[in-house]
Amino acid sequence: MTLRELVNKFILVDTPSPLLKQAPTTIAFFAAVVLTFVVPSLNFTNWGAALGGIWGIIIATALATIFTWSPRFERIALIIPCIDLLAIGFFRLGTGGATSLFSALIILPVIWIAVTPQRRYIILAAIGTSIALMMPFILGFSPLESANDIIRGIFTPIVFATAAGIVNEMSRQGRVQVAAIRALAEERDLMLRGAVDYTNRLRENEERLQAADRLTRSVLDAVTEQSVIGTDVTGLVDVWNPGAERMLGLTAADAQGKRHVHEFHVIDELLERSKELNYPPGETVLNPGFSALVESARLGQPEVRQWTYVRADGTTLSVEVAVTRRVDENLRTVGYIFVATDVTQALEVSRLKDEFVGLISHELRTPLSSILGYLELMRDDEENPLSDEQLQYLGVAERNAHRLLRLVGDLLFTAQVGSSSFSLDAIDMEVAPVLRASVESAGPTAAAAGVGLQIDIPQDISMISGDPVRLGQACDNLISNAIKFTPRGGTVTVSMKNVNDQVVISITDTGMGIPADELDQLFARFFRASTATRAAVPGVGLGLSITKAIVTAHKGELDVASEVGIGTAFIVRLPRKQ
Amino acid sequence: MTDAALRVVVADDDPDIRTLVSIAVRRAGLDLVADVGTGDAALDALREHKPNIAILDVSMPGLTGLEVTAALRSDPGLSDIRVFLLSAGVTDAARQAGIDAGAEDYFFKPFSPRELAAKLTDIVAASRTAE
Repeated sequence: MTLRELVNKFILVDTPSPLLKQAPTTIAFFAAVVLTFVVPSLNFTNWGAALGGIWGIIIATALATIFTWSPRFERIALIIPCIDLLAIGFFRLGTGGATSLFSALIILPVIWIAVTPQRRYIILAAIGTSIALMMPFILGFSPLESANDIIRGIFTPIVFATAAGIVNEMSRQGRVQVAAIRALAEERDLMLRGAVDYTNRLRENEERLQAADRLTRSVLDAVTEQSVIGTDVTGLVDVWNPGAERMLGLTAADAQGKRHVHEFHVIDELLERSKELNYPPGETVLNPGFSALVESARLGQPEVRQWTYVRADGTTLSVEVAVTRRVDENLRTVGYIFVATDVTQALEVSRLKDEFVGLISHELRTPLSSILGYLELMRDDEENPLSDEQLQYLGVAERNAHRLLRLVGDLLFTAQVGSSSFSLDAIDMEVAPVLRASVESAGPTAAAAGVGLQIDIPQDISMISGDPVRLGQACDNLISNAIKFTPRGGTVTVSMKNVNDQVVISITDTGMGIPADELDQLFARFFRASTATRAAVPGVGLGLSITKAIVTAHKGELDVASEVGIGTAFIVRLPRKQ
Repeated sequence: MTDAALRVVVADDDPDIRTLVSIAVRRAGLDLVADVGTGDAALDALREHKPNIAILDVSMPGLTGLEVTAALRSDPGLSDIRVFLLSAGVTDAARQAGIDAGAEDYFFKPFSPRELAAKLTDIVAASRTAE
């Protein structure tokens, strides 16, 4: 217990402690005792009663000390002034009875009793006073001699009770006021604490908002290659990032709150889209141009579409614009966000690529057509037949022309897969005949290379939905690869079976194998395994990427397993026709 | 109809290919009435000779084979000329474009002159049978 708590406990509390209330009585009483000893005209007329009184006060003071220490006795603290009254009664009896000078001491415990809440204690004070004053008569030390004695026993208690009543009422009012003040103070404290809390929360929220704002701003500012434009539901611009400034040649200050987003579009495009959408109604009904831009997003479906932006200087650029809806906390649409990417270059690249494909197609295949055609005419010339040696040379020229033609075909196919012009002519088909044809056409090559070609194709292979020409190309690639990479004396095994809902083709060789760390690059364009380049196996690295593209277009899978020096297995899984 | 050979006009901007096609045409026993190097020349030749068959390269300077085909189909006097297109293009879209324009079939480059002659012979035989 700290000193402060100790002091508070005994003295400085709103409701005085029993010891504090007892202190005036004890002090005044012992002053009276000392006076009686010291002043010659004062005498102890009855030592027994006087000592009883002294012990009474000592006991009352001791109790007050105990009660102060242990507040659980607070309820019975009123026993102390009662003991005081009895002790004063005895002391008065011991110092002259009715003639004692110390009757006035009674007022001190009476006041204690009087300040106790509830008016009934006024009665207790009156009775206590009466008992203290009438003690000599009650105990029979002196008879009631005159009416004065009776009057003293009744009148004085009434006066004291009246005083007690006044004190009681005043202290009650005091208590009420104190309670009211305390309630007000508590209320004020509560409000103050509330206000402080609120202020703190407000400050935290503000800091969070500022941080979020800074983050959003820095993200928007970091996007310099895309334009990010925000608008309200009418299309009025309220967000304009540096990308938009760069792309459209207008500063944020000139755009925000002044321009509508559809002003940066080609009107004909907007009208055409509006027609497509059948002039969409809705929040933007007054503005069909803007409606055409946001209709899909307004219905909750973010949209990415190609548009033409018109810069501030009137020039145009092709963009791909993603439109999304902005919503408030109740998920109501409050505006839109337009994120645009400049696709001018991408479109140009795509156009050049298509042009390149066309050029290759024409410029490479046309001379090859001539070479192969005229070689055939020479071979077929019955009037001037060629010698065996000449026929052999012609065969070499034809073989190489065909090789060149295949390479051109592979390049074209690769370019088509990269663009959107690659499609399958899918029909319900059997894979087995396609695979058999591939094995058959690879026969002469395998024989020439001294590689055994085994085939295991059961009769009950399921139908699939596929493009026979493309699948044939894929099978040709895998089988010719297997033969190419297998040393003389090795074996290539082509097998096929139904596995669950798939048709599985496997092409296994006993060839040079592919290092494990190169397997994941195997299907990349122009990639060649180190084992292939070391062994000087001819090729450009397109076959497997084409095969993979064909299998993928059939919703199938192409996997590979390989071990250097042991061999390689390619597995094609195609979904069975349901 | 007479027993006279069917008359053919060939158009291709590559003279070597043109010669190759012409050889195949003759080997099939057809009568080559003109071989030209542009689409415009092809249209003139077709209007002049009104042949039975036109073999046109798709990709030529000036009018393309497809445009010449479309022009034939829209001209009542020339609309019964059978058109075969020659193309180095391999896409399905390109093939469909030719059929849509009104061509009867496609010959893809590179082609074997022997096979082309055989096909033309078959076509002639089929039309004789039809008569």
